[in-house]
Amino acid sequence: MKRLPALVAAVLAACSGGGMDAPAPSAIQVGTALAADQSMERGLNAMPRTLDPTLLTDQDGQAVVDDLFEGLTAIGPNDDIVPGVASSWEVSADGKTWIFHLRPTARWSNGDPVTAADFVYAWRREVDPKTGAEYAAALAPLVNATAIASGQAPVESLGVNAIDDHTLRVTLVSPTPYLLSVVADSYFQPLPRATIERYGDSWTRPEHMVSNGPYVLTELIVGDRITLTKNPMYWAAKDVRVTRVNCYPLYTDLQVSRFIAGDIQFGSYFPGVQYRWLKSQLGDQVVTGPYLGVQMLAFNMVDPPFANNRNLRLALSMALDRNILVKLTQGMNPAAYSIVPALPGYTPQLPAWASWSDDKRHAEARRLYAAAGYSKAHPLKVQLDYPTDDNNRDIMTALAAIWRINLGADVEPYNEEFRVLQQNLLLHKPVLFWDSWIGDFPDPFTFVQLAQKDNPQNYGRFNDPRFEALLTAAANEPDNAKRYGYFEQSEQLLNQEAVFLPMVYYTSRHLIKPYIKGWHYNLQDRIPTRYLHVLEHEGR
Amino acid sequence: MLRFLLNRLLTAIPTLLIIATLAFALLHATPGGPFDSAKRMPPAIQASIEAKYHLNEPLWRQYARYLGDLAHGDLGPSYQYRDTSVNSLIRQGFPVDATIGVCALLLALLVGGTAGILAALHRNTSADYVPMFFAALGISLPTFIIGPMLILVFAIRLHWLPSGDWVTGSVRYLVLPVVALALPYTAYIARMVRGAAIEVMASPFIRTARAKGMPPRTVILRHALRPILTPLVSFLGPAFAGMLTGSIIIESVFGLPGIGRYFVQGAVNRDYTLVVGITVLYGVLIIVFNLLADLCYAWLDPRVRLHS
Repeated sequence: MKRLPALVAAVLAACSGGGMDAPAPSAIQVGTALAADQSMERGLNAMPRTLDPTLLTDQDGQAVVDDLFEGLTAIGPNDDIVPGVASSWEVSADGKTWIFHLRPTARWSNGDPVTAADFVYAWRREVDPKTGAEYAAALAPLVNATAIASGQAPVESLGVNAIDDHTLRVTLVSPTPYLLSVVADSYFQPLPRATIERYGDSWTRPEHMVSNGPYVLTELIVGDRITLTKNPMYWAAKDVRVTRVNCYPLYTDLQVSRFIAGDIQFGSYFPGVQYRWLKSQLGDQVVTGPYLGVQMLAFNMVDPPFANNRNLRLALSMALDRNILVKLTQGMNPAAYSIVPALPGYTPQLPAWASWSDDKRHAEARRLYAAAGYSKAHPLKVQLDYPTDDNNRDIMTALAAIWRINLGADVEPYNEEFRVLQQNLLLHKPVLFWDSWIGDFPDPFTFVQLAQKDNPQNYGRFNDPRFEALLTAAANEPDNAKRYGYFEQSEQLLNQEAVFLPMVYYTSRHLIKPYIKGWHYNLQDRIPTRYLHVLEHEGR
Repeated sequence: MLRFLLNRLLTAIPTLLIIATLAFALLHATPGGPFDSAKRMPPAIQASIEAKYHLNEPLWRQYARYLGDLAHGDLGPSYQYRDTSVNSLIRQGFPVDATIGVCALLLALLVGGTAGILAALHRNTSADYVPMFFAALGISLPTFIIGPMLILVFAIRLHWLPSGDWVTGSVRYLVLPVVALALPYTAYIARMVRGAAIEVMASPFIRTARAKGMPPRTVILRHALRPILTPLVSFLGPAFAGMLTGSIIIESVFGLPGIGRYFVQGAVNRDYTLVVGITVLYGVLIIVFNLLADLCYAWLDPRVRLHS
């Protein structure tokens, strides 16, 4: 099953490289005026598990829900956050109370006004354990959200109130400067209470769904397509150009063939192994950009051989030649020396050795390896657990080879099905394991929190009072510059202790026809259809 | 005949029970659960989800509940697609596979059968070598090669046909997947029919028919066709069930919303109800088509007695 897409890709690539060339970018003649037909086809990586914003767990679902619903704020056209249903807001001096003013023109697709009560209902539904929302923790910044999700407080005690139909008060546990980013997420979008109560689980069917975003759901065929059409009731409908969009859940290889055939105009991903070939064939239609995610390894900090063995952890990290990993990704993914990627206003804290020459870095790695009690005669023998995937296998094999050459360590990559690995991580069986993280919002907290003592994702069980104190100080700091200072210190501490072994940062990958305009790089890789438009063109 | 049918249908019940039990037990024995994810959820929410899907109950009770629902034709909710039931997924996906499967089978029978008989009648001539060369090619080339090649030529290069997708009632979207699915079956049928035809045409009763002065067309259609088709029937029974329940490769290559992909995705995602449901459906189809194959045997060869 896993092999199939790679084989298909190989065949396609081989055939195309052997004389059956894809259409050159110049074959498509693009004008400057808008095309008469403003409809388009987009590729999704997979079929969303649900289109219920409360129950969403996948990025493909978020991409569709971004078109269907609108929160207090929304993802803007230029990697920014713009007002959504809320036209304005104010925040208290301590940063813990926010008042949002909702625009009176906001409407549901059935014509009903969007009110503050719709937000209160949706947010309470998200944290109510009875709903079974897997990502209820997204509302953790709100007062009592965590207690409610744990069944220890009534849902009515959640830190959100409707002052009147168009005024919403949000009460937070601590200052949350990134609040405007998170309220654009699906978990914070308003919901049509009457529709949900009437239709239950099937309220997301096209015949029932009521939404408040730029589009409405008109067709949903699981595994085949989701069709959205322009919502005439949307308050900014006049600015929405694309009138119909078909979203196709396609394996990445399939997105490539459909794109080249002209059957989709906006692909959401392509296999990394095809990057150079695609670039040579399609030129500027291959679009890559920075993405809010990191691929890394993590250490079990409680059990041997890595517990209380900073030298060994650091030796492995320093001995890793990340430039080789970058080559494996065909130069698409940048090397990562720290878990926080570059963010607006925040400078990632790289360890000093990141800029050393290979020789100097290897020498220091060998010194630390020896200081940890290992040598070529007495090598480290350890299993590296990773989830089954062709790309992962290549990288893990490279890691083992690099460590064998640079340190003489005997690291054995061991692949497991993703769910099996998850279960083993819960049992704390792996001592060295693959890990990755896609940030929920563009703020360093979403990354450094991974090492927090009580974070469920802290599989390595790192526990350092200094680190906890820094994050507590950051949580209580209303001044964002000072808050970022605490994060910088906490990141430095993670680097010093070598809690994680960052490898590469993720990159967003798109295939976009030259006549599709209006898109912009976006750290969260969320490009709503409402900003896109189709130019006049000849060819596909 | 009636007794035979009744007997076969009654034995189908324990067979299906065994299939459902094995699928249920094996899936639940696999490590990992349907709601395991990289982000861990609070225990109260985990408990709520497990209660909703009865995953908190002892396994025997889950099994009894599942069988009870199954007896009423309810295959349960999908764990992967949280607002969809397995019944509705199958209702949506099965017609796609059935349409492609039936068209592919008809194409394979028509082309493969004709080629096989012609090859047998013109043995050791170009009318034999050429189709048999393509038959060998068709059997050797896997669908995951044929599919992308067809897309490359007819969708990307020539722009004659769409590279995938499914539009109910549109023949354009049907052509490439049907051809890709039919090709290996066509090749197999051609070789099988050729072998059977050579054997049958050398039989004494054919020689007798010819000796009586019957025209070749009558000899073939009236006397030879039935025994030629007999070995094909045993192949087509399970093969047709397989074609109807979807070819995962064809569905993946052309991005079709068939149940074959649900099945594989369901296994990966531990969507217990979806996988067991499709397994049971596959079991039902195998039983039905084997029964039809047996009935066809009796029709094709009077020596076969159903009551025995």
